[in-house]
Amino acid sequence: MIRSASILMLLFLAGCATQAPAPVERPDVDAVVREPASEDSEGVQVYSLQNPAVKQLVAQAKTAEGAGNLDQASGLIERALRIEPQDPQLLQQMAEIKLQESDFQQALNFAVRSYESGPRVGEICSRNWRTISVARESLQNTSGAADAQERAKQCMNVRPKKL
Amino acid sequence: MVKKVKSKAKKVAGKKDTGKNKTGKPTGIKKGPVKKGVSQKRSLFKRLFRLCMLLAGLAIGLGVPWVMYLNMQVQSEFDGRKWDLPSRVFARPLSLYDGAEISKQSLLAELDAAGYEKAASAASSGHFSVNGNHFDIYRRGFTFEDGAEPALRFQLDLVGSRVSALGGSEEITANGLVRLDPAEIASIYPTDDEDRKLIALQDTPELLVTGLQAVEDRQFKHHHGIAPKSIARAMLANIRAGRTVQGGSTLTQQLVKNYFLTSDRTIIRKINEAIMSLLLELHYSKTEILEAYLNEIFLGQQGKHAIHGFGRASEFYFDKPLKDLNAQHIALLVGMVRGASYYNPRRNPDRALGRRNQVLDMFASTGILTEQQAIDAKAQPLGVTSKPRSGDSRFPAFVDLVKRQLIRDYHADDLRSEGLRIFTTLAPSEQEYAQTAVSTGLDDLAQRGLPAELQAALVLVDVASGEVRALVGDRSEGRNYFNRALDARRQVGSVIKPLVYLLALERSSDYNLITPIVDEPISLRQPDGSVWSPENYDHISHGGMPLMDGLIHSYNQATVGVGMNIGVANLIRKLDQLGINSQVPAVPATLLGAVELTPIEVAQMYQSLAAGGYSVPLRSVTAVQTPQGELLNRYPLRLMPLDNRDAVALLNFALTQVVERGTAKNLHALLGSNELIAGKTGTTNEQRDSWFVGYTRERVAVAWVGLDDNGPARVTGSNAAMRVWAGLFKQLPPSSVDLRMPDGAGFIWVDPAEYALSSEGCNDAVQVPFIDGTAPQAVTDCYKRQGDDNKSFWSKLFERDE
Repeated sequence: MIRSASILMLLFLAGCATQAPAPVERPDVDAVVREPASEDSEGVQVYSLQNPAVKQLVAQAKTAEGAGNLDQASGLIERALRIEPQDPQLLQQMAEIKLQESDFQQALNFAVRSYESGPRVGEICSRNWRTISVARESLQNTSGAADAQERAKQCMNVRPKKL
Repeated sequence: MVKKVKSKAKKVAGKKDTGKNKTGKPTGIKKGPVKKGVSQKRSLFKRLFRLCMLLAGLAIGLGVPWVMYLNMQVQSEFDGRKWDLPSRVFARPLSLYDGAEISKQSLLAELDAAGYEKAASAASSGHFSVNGNHFDIYRRGFTFEDGAEPALRFQLDLVGSRVSALGGSEEITANGLVRLDPAEIASIYPTDDEDRKLIALQDTPELLVTGLQAVEDRQFKHHHGIAPKSIARAMLANIRAGRTVQGGSTLTQQLVKNYFLTSDRTIIRKINEAIMSLLLELHYSKTEILEAYLNEIFLGQQGKHAIHGFGRASEFYFDKPLKDLNAQHIALLVGMVRGASYYNPRRNPDRALGRRNQVLDMFASTGILTEQQAIDAKAQPLGVTSKPRSGDSRFPAFVDLVKRQLIRDYHADDLRSEGLRIFTTLAPSEQEYAQTAVSTGLDDLAQRGLPAELQAALVLVDVASGEVRALVGDRSEGRNYFNRALDARRQVGSVIKPLVYLLALERSSDYNLITPIVDEPISLRQPDGSVWSPENYDHISHGGMPLMDGLIHSYNQATVGVGMNIGVANLIRKLDQLGINSQVPAVPATLLGAVELTPIEVAQMYQSLAAGGYSVPLRSVTAVQTPQGELLNRYPLRLMPLDNRDAVALLNFALTQVVERGTAKNLHALLGSNELIAGKTGTTNEQRDSWFVGYTRERVAVAWVGLDDNGPARVTGSNAAMRVWAGLFKQLPPSSVDLRMPDGAGFIWVDPAEYALSSEGCNDAVQVPFIDGTAPQAVTDCYKRQGDDNKSFWSKLFERDE
């Protein structure tokens, strides 16, 4: 029940982001990263709340992203990163923007950084690894991509043993 | 209108043609037969007539081509008129939000740099008031790199160097974020050194357009370039007064004088001016001429840069866009047309005020202001800012870096002519602290007996973004004949050693931070056949020690021992990975820093380490816009992660120990704080160069001190550069180094001397980070007694929430 509610919620949220059909080479981040990650985590989010200034910038970036203005969106996330340079949410959002820009190397790099500075568990961990997987796939690293898919699944049941 | 101009032009062309034909005829007449028996009187008359004809012929023969030449000049220059516009360089905008860390001193410095004036109340944009730790700021409207934001009044409190209670409107409270419009830190001027901001006639205040005509040229709409009546009236007035009190020049003539001619006062120039004015009126509309005038007229001087046009003059004197000027401001500018330096409101405020009020009276007498409006305006102060906001950069070394980054994408000519808006990463307050740290730091070193001619460079970079916040290339502020931060290529000495240890730690099966190594005499054959036997700084060999102690105490022999196992070629490869493209010699001495690098290259190298291996190419420019605020280029944040980031994390820990107990252990005393800082000193042969590189969680800075002639300077890393570095960081908010370990590494209690696991509370037990599976297998007796609860203090400190 909770699960289906969260999916509905996500589809609702994603509505604005999927208005314009994305070009073929641009991954549909909602379909390949955000929705499955949310599904896996059953809507449970483990990261802490951000400061209001960062939240505001993130909201603006989401609007820009929804309108297909990826350059503006990444500029806004960059501003937020100046305030919270290691916020895993921001880093992951940047990774997802880069994915939509087909800048796969940067998508990969930001997702890795998000994972390393993040909780390494739960929804954001899943988004990290799904992004890494898509990026690796596009960078012709098929085995790495499959590996990352596996890691995405582990986000939900394995606590990293070390810090 | 256009048609009319064309037909006029044709007429002129026709006239010219007839003139040309005539030139032949008079000579023919002169050659005609002369009657005999004429009186002396007649012959005199005839001779006079001949002379007149000759002169007329000369006038036509020389005059017509001259007019044609002037005509060509007027048309070709005016048709293709396109002023070169200086590019404007902006600092980074200061973001203010609850929790933002900024001292009162820094906030005041930022406001000052951005041209804000302190006032009793922040009643208009560009002003602020401060009461204790409460700030009331009226931000100007500004087009930021990602869009325009309107003027905005907001308030905040500073509580212990943190912003709190940011507010002023519901929107501000909801957003929780305000950006200050940035300081304009420099202009990149056209080669003619003219400074202007273009304005279109339709954007010009009506009062300026009508007022200008009321004061300078009431017949502007009707005359054809010159106004003989005005000239006559002016001459009469001047004769009566016995000096020049009135000018009879029309706006067109003034434009011609400014645009085409030099300023010498000869009769020839006056004639040229008149002819060119007529020609200009013939070919162009009044609108075109007026718009050109508004942008061309000389209105002031800033250093070697001439302020042209009302657009820039408005910013230069009032720090406001033209459209925001009030009657008294416009009257002052209009009055200054008569003599921009004579009526300079900053230098001669009384004279300027008198002139302004005179102009306001003329506005009233011609009916473009009511009597009351003029009286009200005359009651106002001049409203001129105490100093212009920009001009030649106070930060030439940084602007130098900006130009070098831009030159990759823009022609130098474009930077000097296209009026680009350049958004940079400079933090004005931090730049000021950096310059002061260098200037006073070197004075202080001279007091301590070091050479008075010492020079220095200082580069301050934001760790995570790679944005250059400050750059100093000379001990004197504003001087930049040699930008040492970018161009001083000097041996780096021990500053390179961390890379040797990083390479060792990357071989995690061979090395961890406590792997036993030996500091002992070592001799190596160089490629040229000579034998190299490096010594330690204290000329003592220190024997066995854990790996990290070789770095912490910067022992040369230990480092060469490790380095020879690693291989010099790998060190060179590592430098390359870190973005150092300089040629590096493949000799063992490279392991000890016999490598010449510039301070900015060293900053790039350490940014990568400070960011935990998330290398970011250093940036000084984030975006470039057209004068209208359209984005041309954005330079986004790009992450270039190094491999083996777990080894980088281990190295970062070792570098904090350099400050805790190694060669930089005086740093805490210099700073007067105990925050966790990572750093490395560097000294070169015969004490020619002093380096210190240090970083906190947020900022990494490189300081270099030495002599320009590369002579022995009696400097060491800790006695010179570290003091300069500390002078800067004393002013910056503290932030301890981030020692969270990445996936696959963690802190463990060990006894390095025994190379064994230990426990908290055991003798000689210390916490050291290890890559998983690389910690010693052996255990101390104490460990056996206490069990395996060896989760370290560091783990607890940096532990994530479970």
